[in-house]
Amino acid sequence: MKLKKFFAAVILLIIVLPCYYNDTFAQEIDILLKGGQLIDPKNNIDAKMDVGITNGKISQVASDISATRAKKVVDVRGMFISPGLIDIHVHVFAGTNLKQQYMDGPNSLPPDGFTFRSGVTTVVDAGSSGWKTFPLFKKNIIDQSKTRVLAFLNIVGDGMGEHQQDRNDMDPKMAAMFAKYYKNDIVGFKVAHFGGPQSIPVDSAVAAGNLANVPVMVDWRGLPPENSLEDLLMKHLRPGDILTHNFHAGKGAGATAAMYKEALVDASGKVKPYVFRAQQRGIVMDVGHGGNGFVFSQAIPAIKQGLIPNSISSDLHIGNMNAGMKDMSNIMSKFLNMGISLKDVIKLSTWNPAVYIKRTELGHLSVGAEADIAVFKVRTGNFGFIDSHGGTIKGTQKLETELTLRAGKIEWDLNGISNMGWNNN
Amino acid sequence: MIDPKNNIDEVLDIALNDGRIALIAKNINADQATQIVDAAGMYVAPGLIDIHSRLGYTLPDGYTFRVGVTTIVDAGDSDYESFANFKKQVIDKSATRVLAFINIKGGDYKGGANEKGTGDKVASESSKLAMSNKDIVGFKVDFTGPDWTPVDRGVEAGNLANMPIMLDGGRNHPYPSLKDLFTKHMRPGDIYTHTYTIIEDINARDMIVDQQSNLIKPSFLEAQKRGIIFDVGHGSAFRYSNAIPAMKAGFLPNTISTDLSSGSTNAFMKDMMNVMSKFLTMGMSLKEVVKASTWSPAKAIKREELGHLSPGATADLVVFSLREGKFGFYETAGFKMTGNKKFECEMTIKGGRIVYDLNGIATPLNNFFREGNQFRW
Repeated sequence: MKLKKFFAAVILLIIVLPCYYNDTFAQEIDILLKGGQLIDPKNNIDAKMDVGITNGKISQVASDISATRAKKVVDVRGMFISPGLIDIHVHVFAGTNLKQQYMDGPNSLPPDGFTFRSGVTTVVDAGSSGWKTFPLFKKNIIDQSKTRVLAFLNIVGDGMGEHQQDRNDMDPKMAAMFAKYYKNDIVGFKVAHFGGPQSIPVDSAVAAGNLANVPVMVDWRGLPPENSLEDLLMKHLRPGDILTHNFHAGKGAGATAAMYKEALVDASGKVKPYVFRAQQRGIVMDVGHGGNGFVFSQAIPAIKQGLIPNSISSDLHIGNMNAGMKDMSNIMSKFLNMGISLKDVIKLSTWNPAVYIKRTELGHLSVGAEADIAVFKVRTGNFGFIDSHGGTIKGTQKLETELTLRAGKIEWDLNGISNMGWNNN
Repeated sequence: MIDPKNNIDEVLDIALNDGRIALIAKNINADQATQIVDAAGMYVAPGLIDIHSRLGYTLPDGYTFRVGVTTIVDAGDSDYESFANFKKQVIDKSATRVLAFINIKGGDYKGGANEKGTGDKVASESSKLAMSNKDIVGFKVDFTGPDWTPVDRGVEAGNLANMPIMLDGGRNHPYPSLKDLFTKHMRPGDIYTHTYTIIEDINARDMIVDQQSNLIKPSFLEAQKRGIIFDVGHGSAFRYSNAIPAMKAGFLPNTISTDLSSGSTNAFMKDMMNVMSKFLTMGMSLKEVVKASTWSPAKAIKREELGHLSPGATADLVVFSLREGKFGFYETAGFKMTGNKKFECEMTIKGGRIVYDLNGIATPLNNFFREGNQFRW
């Protein structure tokens, strides 16, 4: 009986095999991520799916792709597959010029040491360079990094250097010209740390944004109190423009008198009504955690009242890498423990930011897309999370980045899940 | 608390005051403290000392505090001509304590032919600078042949300054005898780094383990007995097929270090605690791993004020957990070991100040932003 079955199987194989020969043995897939839970918010996928990568691109997404078709199979059972994270607020114009801070100076960080280990494959430098200093940024950082580095160009020509307060150095035409010329790298404009009236930098940046058809990101904290946040959000900014540090503690919470930012949540814990109207109007509320830009006392009541940020970003720089911020996966874990679902947390860190920077070829795992992928485990245990001002929450879940691929190449592998055993030589 | 220098491995409280270790006792009353760290279930050890870093002009703080390292030693990215600039750009700008082996050659780090170190002035100039600068702890030789002259040059500087050399064996064809190196050229106290490397060209350099028989070479065992310091210097130069048989033969590294560089932080090496976890997984005891990352490197660089928790010492500390689970650790050739324990850095304290707190175990928490205005954080 057994023998009969065996022969039947052999005969079946002889007949069937040639038909499937190409599929079965061609190994046309370079890397196959097998057995993971795929979360791809753009394509509304939250299901167990295998992902095949060929020539640096997503070649197949299906519920069961045969391992025999792949040159390398990575077992990601029990893990979550996400599009590579997009962090739209970082400072990575690292340099050795000690006169400078974020522009070619020591306060910015070289990106690759801080991105892949937390699942980030694309960063957007938020105004460290302006049009005058962008060519140096491009040469020293963008062209040298494995991480995809894009830029919001500072509306100040010099960027965040010695001259960042120079109101005579804000030329929308020049900024727009650079944005159009370097359209593969520049995705918008940034207003950062400016201490004068908002009409100067914000309106200049918006003018540049109109000329180049790109969004503007505003760091509100430097602007003096006579400028109302309501006016900024309802009158000066356009739908699609981005308010970063949206859960900043607000007035008086900064350590220096120059920081006047108005908070979204008032002293009684209520979200100011115009904030909802602004978000409905299309203003993007971006986290931009940073060393001073995020407190639980804003975020928790805001989320309870339905103010969910549109995008999660880090404001990575030397002042927060070891402090409360740490890295993207740590910030995402904070939101997970504040009650946002994993699917939404991933959406706020992948597809949403891709849309805001008008790079809709990024932030999803559709077949044909560049294979920028993060694979996470959700650790369970007792964890603590710190904000910018010494506030803390406890949590039971924490994201850990197991694997990061950039354009189909494995750039991070925490536990060697893509590697052989040492004695398999 | 694990403090190998003082032979301590037990549950103890530790109090810090004015940046120094004030008191160690079984039970210190919490009422006396302005800030309390709940380290129950965790390990307290001296801040880690990584004696082989290669970050060049990249500032180290983003790669050190998150894994408990409070002191790194740059292994030859500067020399007697460029050190002043390295000090200004890196040492003086870092919150991590940065020390240096200066390269025994002239000119900026270029590798290859520039590293032969055969100039006549190099030993005298290097030693003069080393003696007048407390940040320099020794001399680095990145060997490229053809004979042991560059090593002799380093040792000459080392004798003048009473400091060790660190040797990266590099490659040369044909390769001079390592037995000669260990017995005639290096002194007890000199450091041989990249101990577990494989040079694919078998004629290029002797390895610690014969790859056919899996037996350790007697010359290495004798050299360690003679006092040569064998340093890990993981980087891309660490192979299990050397490390595991060597460990089975009773050979442990004297010092654990990373060879930290932008190429290895995302790859097989990752960071100091990942390297330490590998040695734990290979069977080295926790106490030995901590010793090889604290007190032993402090002694190797003759900085015996570091690497221990004696009262009065600078308060450089790490608080870590041993995570349990299934972990993988891979190396240069992609080979992997699986283990069930892994170091996780909970807190790093440098000079009495909390510089890293993973889960917020301090009460009250540090306000890193407010501190930032004082400390550039």
